[in-house]
Amino acid sequence: MSQTAAEETADVFGPDSMLRRLSDEARWGLAVTRATVLEAAHPQVGTALMANSTFVAHPWRRLRNTLTSTQRLLDEEQRVRTREAARLNRLHARISGSDPQGRPYDASDAGARAWVVATLFESAVTMYRLSGQSLDGPALGRLYGEFRTLLSLLEGHSDRLPATVREFWPYFDDMIDHHLENTEAVRVILYRLFTDVPAPPLLRASPAAWAAGRAVAGPAAAAITIASLPESFCRRLALPDVPGARMLMHAAYLGTGLADRLLPDEWTSLGTLMSLLDPSHTGAPGPWDGVRRKAEQAAAMFRLVTPAADEASETTLSADRFFAEVLDQTGDGYLAWPDLAAMAREIATRLDLDAPDEERLFTAYATWWRELQTELDADDDGRVTRQEFAASAARLPSSGLIRIADVLFDVTDVDDDETIDGREHQALFRTAFRRDLTGTGESWSRGAFVRQFVSFMTGQQHSVAYDSLLT
Amino acid sequence: MDGNGRWAAQRSLPRTAGHVAAEAAVIDVIEAARSAGIEWLSLYAFSTENWRRPAAEVDILMRLVRRAIRKHAPALYARGVRCRFLGMSDPRIPAPLARDITDLMTLTGDNKDMTLTVAFDHGGRRDIVEAARSLIRAAVPAEQVTEDTFAGHLPYSDTPDVDLVIRTSGEQRISNFMLWQVAYAEWAFPQVLWPDFRAAHLWECLDDYRRRQRRFGDVRRPTTMGEGQR
Repeated sequence: MSQTAAEETADVFGPDSMLRRLSDEARWGLAVTRATVLEAAHPQVGTALMANSTFVAHPWRRLRNTLTSTQRLLDEEQRVRTREAARLNRLHARISGSDPQGRPYDASDAGARAWVVATLFESAVTMYRLSGQSLDGPALGRLYGEFRTLLSLLEGHSDRLPATVREFWPYFDDMIDHHLENTEAVRVILYRLFTDVPAPPLLRASPAAWAAGRAVAGPAAAAITIASLPESFCRRLALPDVPGARMLMHAAYLGTGLADRLLPDEWTSLGTLMSLLDPSHTGAPGPWDGVRRKAEQAAAMFRLVTPAADEASETTLSADRFFAEVLDQTGDGYLAWPDLAAMAREIATRLDLDAPDEERLFTAYATWWRELQTELDADDDGRVTRQEFAASAARLPSSGLIRIADVLFDVTDVDDDETIDGREHQALFRTAFRRDLTGTGESWSRGAFVRQFVSFMTGQQHSVAYDSLLT
Repeated sequence: MDGNGRWAAQRSLPRTAGHVAAEAAVIDVIEAARSAGIEWLSLYAFSTENWRRPAAEVDILMRLVRRAIRKHAPALYARGVRCRFLGMSDPRIPAPLARDITDLMTLTGDNKDMTLTVAFDHGGRRDIVEAARSLIRAAVPAEQVTEDTFAGHLPYSDTPDVDLVIRTSGEQRISNFMLWQVAYAEWAFPQVLWPDFRAAHLWECLDDYRRRQRRFGDVRRPTTMGEGQR
């Protein structure tokens, strides 16, 4: 990145940065969700999402990662910002290919990335407008400037976005009218994701309650999102106009606006939303912690009073469930390189690995993928089906896995004493020790750690720790 | 909770029948202790040494514990009992049982009337070793290690010293039970086997304990016990 860009970000993301304040609010999640639909209609972005992203199978994790990444990009410390930008660039550099029609896509494409930032800006503006807090001219200009800086932080320049807000709107309209398509990703988000969205980690224990709530909330969320999209976009993509949806959408946005003005800041902060999405989210105890605790207690009571499931089936993961929950990260029913790359990405993101360790991790995953392809892909179609996996589940090749475990061990063993103690293990799997049990003084030698990881990744053993990381 | 096996043998029943019968005693004692105003009650359910028992017996024990937890969780919650499990680090503990135990602790975590600590897969020496490890990891300088700081590194460090230990079936050993916390405890060794132990036996032990004079090594300040037994 150029020196100018670094200096510019230092100035723009100052203490009263609008973007940073916005990204600390829970309703930013609403804007990000809406922006994702607009992004997905970009042919390159849509294809990249479908081929590589885990948003269908693990939407909550994806949302959490996006929000975390945005916060890091807007961090007060420039070191954190540039590190995250470099990480995102490395991540995007690994995502490229071609769609079924043979058109190439590349996550590093400057035009596509400019469009992603444009959708975030437009969604933020729309969110303010719909929640009754329209931005005036100067505020709009300032916010736009900050978004352009965000792009230049990633790209080194922001030439692909128009210089001023005045010029932005024609660019935005032109993109909608001439460049966007009704991609598979848009359809999946609007018609599959909202209705089939899996329970967030906090509610996973109550699948029945979640399914009942989702039956109402899913279609409503889809209708609200569609109604909030630009009319020209809906027309071009032939999205349905559900009666009453606009009223519902206005009510929802106004509600967030009122909540933002009336409720204490910590109630509507992003940290609160994050703690709901991710029970392992560590932060100061917030006002919702009491509510969350009660919800956890209710879920615990529910589990205790419902008849116990068959014990045998719970101790071992069935090959089918393991395939769906752990291996098939993109949720397309097949195991292919994007699934393994998604796992590597997730681990690299969670552990905030630096470039050399990330490279080692991806190389180790690539080795494992080559092994899997050689051993399991019976029909040589470049991917492993559920049946092919089930047929060989008991004897999965594991030398690539050992290399992955080695990398994990090295990055976890921060004091290089060839032993992972309870604290280091906890840092690796913050969620693992939510079992409030004593005796966390356990430690793992390299051999024991590798064995534990391999037996989880080959589906032979349940692990609370790894489940929370990859399912 | 000694004497389940002997209780079963006396009736020509399998040992596991004694464990089944023990459940009623556990519930009765919890309720009696609660009504007697006892705020801290600990039950020694399963020691680290108990893993040496035949696998089938251990397996049945685990199932019984799980069944009992699921059966009594709502009542324990409603009675204001906070349940904690001390030990619990052996991977042989079945995952469903571990989850139910976690659920029970989550469910009752905010209760305040009584704290019930179930020593399960517990070993007093292991706890002390754990505390030592924890001190070393926290890099506490040697001169700062006192009895209080050491106790602060024990699992569930808010647990007060034990006042009275009741060991049923006439056995007179410590058996690695909460070694640090029983340093000044009074002991009672009723002959009754655990499955037959009921509220009345508990009251007898408490009555006996009240009449004892606890001096904690001092000859001038005898303390007669009143309220607040543990």
